Amino acid sequence: MGGGQKSAAFQLMKENNFQPDDSQLSALLRESRGMPALPPRFQQNVWRRIEDAEASVRPAAWLDSLAALILRPRFAVAVASVLLLAGILSGTLEGWQVARHDAQVNYLAAVAPQAAR
Amino acid sequence: MNRSLVILLAALALGAAIFAGSYFTARHATVMCCAKPADDLDWLRTEFSLSDAEMARVRELHEGYLPKCAAMCAKIAAKKSELESVLGTGTNLTAEAQTKLKEIGELRAQCQAQMLQHFITVSQAMPPDQGQRYLAEMKRRTLGTNELMEQSMSGETGHEHHH
Repeated sequence: MGGGQKSAAFQLMKENNFQPDDSQLSALLRESRGMPALPPRFQQNVWRRIEDAEASVRPAAWLDSLAALILRPRFAVAVASVLLLAGILSGTLEGWQVARHDAQVNYLAAVAPQAAR
Repeated sequence: MNRSLVILLAALALGAAIFAGSYFTARHATVMCCAKPADDLDWLRTEFSLSDAEMARVRELHEGYLPKCAAMCAKIAAKKSELESVLGTGTNLTAEAQTKLKEIGELRAQCQAQMLQHFITVSQAMPPDQGQRYLAEMKRRTLGTNELMEQSMSGETGHEHHH
């Protein structure tokens, strides 16, 4: 019987005294926490550290993504095919020019010997 | 070393090897395939896109010209050996040596005239635009070498004589 009376009294007190928008209570609570003063230029220093960390990470990330791209079979085969084709084309063109030059030299040697020039 | 960097460098090396391998193989194959040193006239056919009939006419002219050219070259060579024997070990330029030099010059002029006449005749056996191109190329190739030497000796290309 006595326990039931206590509980009812506590419930009544709570309903009468608790106010969520009590500014005085909030100020008191803030003061009681005892927050230390921030060092000068605290925010600027924080942002600088974040920027520095991102800057040091960026090249490695770029290299990693490029390496990952190279290791993709489709990309690797495509690049190898392009290089092979470019090599064949440029080699054929160069070889054709060398052969053309040799043929011209042969003709000139036949019709215009060095003694006649 | 960073793994990504190793992958990148290996890929670059592999790419360079693929390009270089295909380039040199194709170049070698093309030179072997297209160079036909057995036929002196092969260049004319490909360069000036001559038909079989034009090519036959050019070949006829070419074969007619070669013995004349060889005879003229032999005359020049004989005259040069005469000049060398006249010069001997002497230190003076004798009148006889000067005569030989003049004769060599005349023979060279005759040879060049004959050569130019051959080029003109061959150019006339080609289609007009190709013939003009052929003649210009032959003049540039055969007469240009002397012009370059003369220009360099006269100082036109920036070279100066210092006495």
